[in-house]
Amino acid sequence: MNLLNLKIFGLLAVVAVALVLPVGLSEYWQYVLTVSFFYAIMAASWNLLGGYTGQFSLAQHTFGMIGAYTSALLMDKAGAPLWITIPAAVVLTMILSLILGIICLRVAGLYLALITWAFAEVVRNYSRMHYTFTGGDRGLDAPLIFGTLQPTPYYYFFLGLTILVVAFIYVLMRSRIGFYLRSIRDDAIAARSMGVNIVRYKVLAFIVASGIAGLAGAFYGHSIGLISPVLGDFNEMAMIIIFVVIGGMRTQAGPVVGAIAVRITMELLREQSEIRIIILSALVIIIMRFFNGGLMELVRRVRKLFGRDREPVSAYQD
Amino acid sequence: MEGAAIDYHLFSQFLISGIIMGILYCLMSMGINFIYGIMKVINWSMGEFFMIGAYVQYLLITYIIGPQFWFAGILIAAFVVFVLGAVVQQLLIRPMFVGIIEAKMEYATIVTISLAIFLRNMAVLIGGPYIYTPPDYAGPTQLLTLPISGNRMVGLVGALIILGIFYYFIKKTWSGKAFQGVAQNRSGVQTAGVNVLKYDTLAFGLGTALAGAGGALLAPIFLVHPMCGLVPTVRGFEIIVIAGLGSIPGILIAGLSLGIAESLGSAFINPSFVDIYGFILLVIVLLIKPYGLFGKPERAV
Amino acid sequence: MQDKRTPFLDVKNIVKKFGGLVANNNVNLQIGKGEIRGLIGPNGSGKTTLINVITGIYEPENGGIYFAGKRIDGLQADVIASMGIMRTFQVARVFRDMTVLENMLIPAFCQGQSRKEAVGRAEELLDFALLTRLKDTQAKSLSGGQNMLLQIVRGFMNRSLQLYVMDEPFAGVHQSIKGIILKSIKMMNDEKGVTFLIISHEMPTVSTLCDKVTVLAKGELIAEGTMEEIANEPQVIDAYLGG
Repeated sequence: MNLLNLKIFGLLAVVAVALVLPVGLSEYWQYVLTVSFFYAIMAASWNLLGGYTGQFSLAQHTFGMIGAYTSALLMDKAGAPLWITIPAAVVLTMILSLILGIICLRVAGLYLALITWAFAEVVRNYSRMHYTFTGGDRGLDAPLIFGTLQPTPYYYFFLGLTILVVAFIYVLMRSRIGFYLRSIRDDAIAARSMGVNIVRYKVLAFIVASGIAGLAGAFYGHSIGLISPVLGDFNEMAMIIIFVVIGGMRTQAGPVVGAIAVRITMELLREQSEIRIIILSALVIIIMRFFNGGLMELVRRVRKLFGRDREPVSAYQD
Repeated sequence: MEGAAIDYHLFSQFLISGIIMGILYCLMSMGINFIYGIMKVINWSMGEFFMIGAYVQYLLITYIIGPQFWFAGILIAAFVVFVLGAVVQQLLIRPMFVGIIEAKMEYATIVTISLAIFLRNMAVLIGGPYIYTPPDYAGPTQLLTLPISGNRMVGLVGALIILGIFYYFIKKTWSGKAFQGVAQNRSGVQTAGVNVLKYDTLAFGLGTALAGAGGALLAPIFLVHPMCGLVPTVRGFEIIVIAGLGSIPGILIAGLSLGIAESLGSAFINPSFVDIYGFILLVIVLLIKPYGLFGKPERAV
Repeated sequence: MQDKRTPFLDVKNIVKKFGGLVANNNVNLQIGKGEIRGLIGPNGSGKTTLINVITGIYEPENGGIYFAGKRIDGLQADVIASMGIMRTFQVARVFRDMTVLENMLIPAFCQGQSRKEAVGRAEELLDFALLTRLKDTQAKSLSGGQNMLLQIVRGFMNRSLQLYVMDEPFAGVHQSIKGIILKSIKMMNDEKGVTFLIISHEMPTVSTLCDKVTVLAKGELIAEGTMEEIANEPQVIDAYLGG
């Protein structure tokens, strides 16, 4: 069996397991996994912007929040049905990220982090402040998609969404756009000198990553039923970064594996809420300092050890 | 307030209050800016060093030297944080400059953010999720038209003294000028025999010490608990975004503007959401000047 | 059809300042189609700045640059690349996390070449450059010299390449790689009529390779002609010795 077939088989096996899992899982754990899928999507979409394209944004969670609020508010105030509010949420998210992306074009690396951070804080504060409209800290009720609190339909829904998003990002990164994005990260000046339209693709990365976040956030809102400004907390962004780093930045599976693995671990260590975070943050620091590849790199090295040593060493990993 | 002329007395009180807070927040921004100037790294864990300074101060005046020696406590706390900062720099940041780390900006951001989370949770683990209240540094007093607590007065005077000493150090002493040299021309200064890596460590220690001193100084105001560094961090970064990186006078101006905006906004618009006014100021500034009022543009492609 | 009297690359009165420093002071330069022009001068004479202006990295304070009659100063680097002007950098700028092959594909994709076409041509060029065995290796694993070579052949992927600007392509490069670089320049010049503007400090190489040489010193053009002509001019000798 050659490498590609092995990967496809592995992928299908994972999906098959995921499909069957709810049968043996308690409702609690189905819920845990559903939330993990949401974070997997957030992590994967941030990886696109911050990992592959090198635009280290600190506002990914914010676009998830904007998506959630837009959809819920449209439903609440305008009585719009789901099939209108979701696209509207995505569109609004993309418009806002377009503006942010254009502003960020004029600034480099560190400033981008600062500005996106500021943007995230502004939006979070706004949602708290304008409480008559948004419900403020008390939160906003978001009608449930499936009208029930049973986690199973949401599990499958988010599983499907995750697979779609991952597939989309895979195809995108394999295309020439993916090449441009990676070249921008590696050396933007060189990319430009080779003919890459930096402006267009930087903004594109912003819009796509945020649109995905907005979509996921909107659905997430309608899955947990109550949304609040907590979604926009800096902590959420930090967790996304943690997922991606532990799973493996700039890999396809890394963000997903990282999000799910970390979230499961966090649930298992429920009791020790500080210790689990201390371990995680220390792990991230150690990975960045010594290992820089996360779980997927570990997998790759293990595979290499077992003889698959003439694997192409593209940084673009499947 | 409808129809009435602005009460100048009241207005001046809010103004002074805003100025005080602005100066207090500047301590953080100075530290952030200084570290950035030397190493081109933004330390997202400044708030945690602030918090550590506050904890150390609390321990000192509660158990070791007693509340009457609070001013000595501040110096000791600052020193402790300095050492801690230097150690962190050696372990985590220095590798960036000796060729070990490739993607520098990404590395620095992820590591300092993770460090912040790590330290914050360590504080909860070690000291518990409690809020400790250090005793007041001084009794209530008055500044011009505004009656203020002794702590605020001490905070204001202390911050001004620290900022003043820092300014003098950077501008007038030889070491200070060496720091300036490293900030302006890292490779050039190396050829002149300056051990840049040593200055990196000192700078990081010094920057975090500023935050730690701030934490110790402001402990009675912000109180001592694992999250006590969060608000100063947010304000510190707000000021940096408004002022732009690289300009010390800019930070002072931005800090004052932020403090005043917050104070007046809370007073005359709505006190419940103090946070928003600074950010309104920030958005306005960014729309006109994305690098901040006095920021030096880096060439982005 | 281009008028034979109109220079292919026309650099007119270029002034480029950085704060108080005038890096290019009224530089005038004309290069004819198919020429291999050398650009030499002591360190700090403004050579790199000039080619950065030509390739759209910098915008000049004054003056204009015309390529095949069209004005190009102030245009973005990617637009200039699409017009057929490629460049290399003094310190090789390759896409470090991407493989050698992927590096090659970028300029091709920008031109709308299909993947199959692009990969085919890339493999040809890599073969010529003796880099084939490295084609799936990340660029960061390559030596400095190999990366310089990669930079250079990467530029050749631009099918409509007309002008190639190179910044010190031979600096610190192993003899064998230098040989390949020279071979590729001559081949492209002979077979495809590509015009070259090359900055170099290696006088013997410049002497044999370049038809004409332009000398810059302290931001100004001080001499122009064949190597023999300018080598004996007093201001050239002065510039190199005087410092």
